[in-house]
Amino acid sequence: MEKEEVKQRIKKVVSQVLKIDESEIADNANFIFDLGADSMQSMLLIAAFEEEFDIEMDVEKAQEVQTIDGAVDFISKYLQG
Amino acid sequence: MKNMNRAELHKKNLHAVFYPQSVAVIGTNKMKGTVPGDIFTNILKANFQGIIYPVSPREKSIGGVKAFKYVIDIPDEVDLGIIVFPSSVCKLALEQCGQKGIKSVIIISAGFREVGPKGLEKEKELLDIAKKYDISFIGPNCLGVINTDPVSRLNASFARKYPTEGSIAFLSQSGALCTAVLDYARAKNIGFSKFVSFGNKADISEIELIYYLMGDPKTKVILLYLEEITDGPGLMKAAREVIMKSHKPVLILKSGRTEEGASAAASHTGSLAGKDEICDAAFRQAGIIRCENIEEMFNIAIAFVYQPPPQSKRVAIVTNAGGPGVLTTDAVVREGLQLAKFSEKTTLTLKRSLPTTANINNPVDVIGDARADRYVAAISAVFKDENVDGVFVILTPQSMTDIDSIATEIARVANQFDKPVYASFMGQADVSSGIKILEHSNIPHYILPESMCKPFHTVYNFNHFVVNNMPEILVSAHPENQAARKLIDDFIQAGKKHLNEFDASGILETYQMPVVEKKLAKSPNEAGKMAAETGFPVVMKVISDDVFHKFDVGGVVLNIQSEDQAEQAFESIIQNTKKNLPDAEIRGVQITRQIQNGMEVILGIKKDPSFGSVIMFGFGGIFVEIFRDVSFRVAPIDKSTALKMIKEIKSSELLSGVRGTKLRDIDAIADTLVKISALATDCPQIKELDINPLIVLEKGKGCFVADTKIILES
Repeated sequence: MEKEEVKQRIKKVVSQVLKIDESEIADNANFIFDLGADSMQSMLLIAAFEEEFDIEMDVEKAQEVQTIDGAVDFISKYLQG
Repeated sequence: MKNMNRAELHKKNLHAVFYPQSVAVIGTNKMKGTVPGDIFTNILKANFQGIIYPVSPREKSIGGVKAFKYVIDIPDEVDLGIIVFPSSVCKLALEQCGQKGIKSVIIISAGFREVGPKGLEKEKELLDIAKKYDISFIGPNCLGVINTDPVSRLNASFARKYPTEGSIAFLSQSGALCTAVLDYARAKNIGFSKFVSFGNKADISEIELIYYLMGDPKTKVILLYLEEITDGPGLMKAAREVIMKSHKPVLILKSGRTEEGASAAASHTGSLAGKDEICDAAFRQAGIIRCENIEEMFNIAIAFVYQPPPQSKRVAIVTNAGGPGVLTTDAVVREGLQLAKFSEKTTLTLKRSLPTTANINNPVDVIGDARADRYVAAISAVFKDENVDGVFVILTPQSMTDIDSIATEIARVANQFDKPVYASFMGQADVSSGIKILEHSNIPHYILPESMCKPFHTVYNFNHFVVNNMPEILVSAHPENQAARKLIDDFIQAGKKHLNEFDASGILETYQMPVVEKKLAKSPNEAGKMAAETGFPVVMKVISDDVFHKFDVGGVVLNIQSEDQAEQAFESIIQNTKKNLPDAEIRGVQITRQIQNGMEVILGIKKDPSFGSVIMFGFGGIFVEIFRDVSFRVAPIDKSTALKMIKEIKSSELLSGVRGTKLRDIDAIADTLVKISALATDCPQIKELDINPLIVLEKGKGCFVADTKIILES
């Protein structure tokens, strides 16, 4: 899957979980600092990404991912196997 | 301002922590019961006198106040930033504070050094950002800051309740303890001027806060709860300065008293100088009042802030119950206070005003059926007596005791005199309203009457001895000794850690310490000749880098009276050492004059991780081994401090010529203590040093270093 497609699908998920308009989500947006995710929403995001991409992530490492760009790189690695 | 010294910067920036005109709460939200939400609410509820800006990535407004997505979006100047974001984004928030020009920040968030190495890394990143923008910050991992001054009314904390205004400043490393203390103080109607939880003290520490409080007109007493002391000399210096310049007492409750720290030490000094003993000595040296627990801390604090200091130690006790009066009398004597002896006039007044069954001597017993009028008569009479420096009032609740009236009258009468009065209304339920009256009238109240003694004595000592009598200098006055430093550097380069007596003595000699003259024999024949040259009797000891405890390997022979004996001693020393330590490389056998008719004392140095080099003094033999009768001071010390150290130990009278013993050369011991203090200051590479024994002769005849060892840092 191309990174651009991964990014769009991540933004869609973030928009749904955090209830933010997709157009307001910048590529380098920080989930907490820019988008206002709290600890519960961070966990919901991880679960939603797993469902969206049909992958199982290392939760501890996933929690260290802080931005949209970071999530694209992190999830892409899983998709590439 | 760039590159300004951090301490100077903190001094400049701390004012805005307590008196900001505008505050941004960065990372707040609308959720009650969460730290980010409650901090914002607490600031609003305390009626903060400045402007407050919520900063929240998601909310348009919080509590009816317009919210900003980023702190840099706030159009006005912001004096104080309070960061409540999760730790992962604190550095982003701090970076934006820097961009916004905010110089004072409180970082409430947890998840830093307290969670391990990754957290510590994050904490270092915060400090780097703070340095980049000249920011001073409190925290992270703290409860926050409260300033009750009506011109500010800042409650930048997530404490449950806002405290009442008072004169006590409380600083704490533990946030959880803060909330418990606030609750405790509230129940006792104790108010605070400033209340600070400084958490991990990654940037601003207790030292900068103490300096700030020195100039705070609202603070009369400074209380500190500490878990670790990272800069002992800095803390001592700050406390001394505050005490000397502002006469504000500094009370510290330091946890970790029982911490193990001495078992691995290789010297006597090392094993005797536990962390807690050093801490005790250092606090005393700096004039700091060390408290055993929170209750004792506040018992003493209220005595300082509510009542005038006593002029001397003579106490009058007024009680309606004989038993508690006697118990308190015992405690008065035990504490080192005195029971006042009343003047004839006072005795006559008491006789006229009290029933014939009353005890008109000290302790005055106004008898169980006493009502307020009898208390007033007794208290007024003893207050007027010139032989009385303070009054302890005790009450037990009888059926006819008008508790509230007595409390009110105590406060009324006390206001007429410039002498302290403390009270103990014994019991709980029946006396509670009376206690409230006392507390609201600023009469220190203590549940147990005995508890009145220590606060009284502490306040007396502080005002009469500590404030005006702190000569124990912390600045080294002697020129540095380059020779000793070079010798030590050479030993370190050669990979030596344990210096034998021969090498260690060489270092002491560079300070003109009275080391006994030494010769090193390589053969029995040489030993005999050298012993004869030295003059009998002599002492012979093995010298080897591999032998640290010479007695244990049979490497010491005392009282050698002839050349033949010296030759035999040489052979037995070599034989014993080889038998016990076959691999030891023996440099030879040392020959020294045996000092006679001397008294043995021990002097030492130990390097402490918190306070640096510490000097020890004690008696030799069982006094040091069993009784641990030793005294400590943080180096450097001057001669007056050295003399105090000598007098301080319980067995010091043995040096003073008591019971037919000879008066010893105390001056010479003090001079040697000052010299080892200079050595410790010049050569911080010394981890431990023992002079054991230092043999002290009669007054005027000096003292001699008979044995010594030094352990250097790796």
